[in-house]
Amino acid sequence: MIEFQNVTKRYPGGYDALSNVSLHLAEGEMAFLTGHSGAGKSTLLKIISLIEKPTRGIAQLDKINLKTISRHRVPYLRRKIGIIFQEHHLLFDRTVFDNVAMPLIIQGYRHQEIAKRTRAALDKVGLLNKEKSMPVTLSGGEQQRVGIARAVVHKPMLLLADEPTGNLDPVLSREIMQIFLDFNQVGVSVLVASHDLILIDELQKPVLTLNQGKMIHNDLNRDQYDQEVGGFRSPQVNEFSTGNW
Amino acid sequence: MRTSNRRRGRPATSNKLVAYLLHHIQSLVFSLGKIYHSPITTIMTVAVIGITLSLPGGFYLFLKNINAMSGDIRSTTQITLYLDIKLSEQKARALERAISKTGNVVSTEFISRQASLQAFRETSGFGRSIDTLSSNPLPHTIIVEPVSSADTFAVKNLLNALQAMPEVKIAKLDTEWLERLYTILEIAKRSVVIVTILFSIAVLLVIGNTIRLDIQNRRQEIIVTKLIGATNAFIRRPFLYGGIWYGLLGGLMSWLIVEIGYLAIAGPLNRLNLLYQADLMLITFTFQDFIILVSSSTLLGLTGSWIAVARHLNQIEPT
Ligand SMILES: Nc1ncnc2c1ncn2[C@@H]1O[C@H](COP(=O)(O)OP(=O)(O)OP(=O)(O)O)[C@@H](O)[C@H]1O
Ligand SMILES: [Mg+2]
Repeated sequence: MIEFQNVTKRYPGGYDALSNVSLHLAEGEMAFLTGHSGAGKSTLLKIISLIEKPTRGIAQLDKINLKTISRHRVPYLRRKIGIIFQEHHLLFDRTVFDNVAMPLIIQGYRHQEIAKRTRAALDKVGLLNKEKSMPVTLSGGEQQRVGIARAVVHKPMLLLADEPTGNLDPVLSREIMQIFLDFNQVGVSVLVASHDLILIDELQKPVLTLNQGKMIHNDLNRDQYDQEVGGFRSPQVNEFSTGNW
Repeated sequence: MRTSNRRRGRPATSNKLVAYLLHHIQSLVFSLGKIYHSPITTIMTVAVIGITLSLPGGFYLFLKNINAMSGDIRSTTQITLYLDIKLSEQKARALERAISKTGNVVSTEFISRQASLQAFRETSGFGRSIDTLSSNPLPHTIIVEPVSSADTFAVKNLLNALQAMPEVKIAKLDTEWLERLYTILEIAKRSVVIVTILFSIAVLLVIGNTIRLDIQNRRQEIIVTKLIGATNAFIRRPFLYGGIWYGLLGGLMSWLIVEIGYLAIAGPLNRLNLLYQADLMLITFTFQDFIILVSSSTLLGLTGSWIAVARHLNQIEPT
C-alpha cells in the first residue's frame, strides 16, 4: 500500500524534515507513527496524501509514484485515501450529514447511494442521531468523529490520521482508536500519527518512530531492522483481516 | 488488490453521466442559493453591472432612433429651385408644370414670391422692417421632390438638368446637412463601440473581483474539497455558475434601466410630436436586441469568473 525508499523531504528553508526514511505498509496493515514534536510525522503523512512532494527517494502509494504523478491524477489518487486531520477541517456552513457526504458527491454517486452510505458512516462513529446538526453545536470529540465518518464514507483503501486524539480525554481517545481498529479489522490499511505512547502501547500494533526526520524504530521492517540495530519489541504477528465491511 | 466487491457501489458509466449532469444542476441551484443567501453583495454587484451596461445599451438605442429618423429624412430629399427674379408668375407656373412631368420627379410645389415673403414675414420676426422694403427681394421658388427610390446619381443628374434651365437661377439639393449628419452618426457609432468595449471590460473586472472575493471567502472549503479528491473542474463549477448568474441578472437589470429611461423620455417626445406635427416613433429594444444584451452580459459574467477562477483557484492548495 505505502512504500517509501530512502525518502528525504527538504523544505524550502533547507531543513530536512525527513531524511532517508524507508517503510513498507502492506495492504490491510495498521501502524502507529510516533516521534517528538517536529520529528516529521505530519510531513510523512503529507507526502502520502500528495500535499507535499518528496525531495529525494521513492515514495509510492498503491504502486503509483507520488513524485512523478501528474497533476490531474492527484484527485483520483486522493479518493483512495481517507484523511483525518487534527484540526478536523469540517465545514461549518453545512450540516453533519452534508459534511460527511462530500466525498461521495465529489465522486458523483447517486442520491440514494449517498444517503445510504453517509448514514452507515455516521452510524459507525455513533453519530446517526446528529446528522441534521451543525458542526458548531457538537463537542470536540463529536467533531473529530464526524471527520472520521467523512474520511471513511467512500470506503478508502487507506486511512491516514494525524494526531486524531490530540485534544481528547483518554476515554474518548480510546474510543476513537477503537474505531480505527475496527476499520483495520475489515481490511482497511491504517496509519496513525500520535503522541499518545501509553495508548499506542496498549493497542499492540506495529510502531514507527521518527527522530529529527530519521526513522529510528520500525516494526514493519523487522527482518531488516533486527540486522541493523537489534530487536526493540517482540515480533508482531500480522494476521489482519481482509474481509469486507 | 482488494477491488471489485469493495468498489461495487461505484457509479456505472451511464449513472456517472447522470450524476455529472446532476452536479451541474446542483451547482447552478447552489450558486443561486448562495446569491439568495447573500442578497446585499449580490444586489450591489448586479446593480453595478446593470448600470454599467445600461450606458452602452442606452447609447445604442439612442443611435438606433437617430438612424431611423435620418432614414425618414433621406427619403424626403428635395431640390429647391430659385427662379430668375424677373420671371413672371405665369411663366414660372408653366415651368413648374413642365418639370412635374419630367422623369424621376414625384411632385412639385410652387411657392410664389408673395407667398415666400408672407411666410418670411411671419416666421422670421422681421415683419415690420420687411414692410419698409420698396420691392420684394424674393424670387418664385419651385420645390421638386425626386422619386424616393432614385439613387444619388439619378438625383444628381436631375439636379444638373434643372440647373441648366435658363429660368433657374439656383438649384439646391438639400443633402449637405444630411451628409454632415451621417458623419456625426458615424462618429457616434464608433463611440458606441468604444464605450461598449470599455464598459464590458469594467463588467469583467467587477465580476472577476466579486468571484475572487468569493473564492477567498471559501478558501477553507476549497482546500477541504481538494483534500478529499475533488477535481479542479468540480471546484470551479459553482464559481463559474455564480459568474453566469451575476451576468444574467446584470443584463436584465441594464435592460430594465434603459426601458425605464425611455419611458421617461417618451413624455417630452410626444410634446415634440405635437409641436412639429411629426410622427416620431420611439424605438426600444427589439426582442433580438434584448437577447443579445442579456446573452452577452451572461457571457461577460462567465468570462469574468473564468479569469478569476483561473488566476486564484490554482493558488489555493492544501498545506
Ligand atoms: N511548510 C514547511 N516549510 C518549512 N519547514 C517546515 C514546513 N512544514 C514543516 N516544517 C518543518 O519540518 C519539521 C517537521 O515538521 P512536521 O510537521 O512534520 O512535524 P511533526 O512530527 O508533525 O510535529 P508535531 O508533532 O508537532 O505535529 C519541523 O521542524 C517543521 O518546522
Ligand atoms: Mg504534526
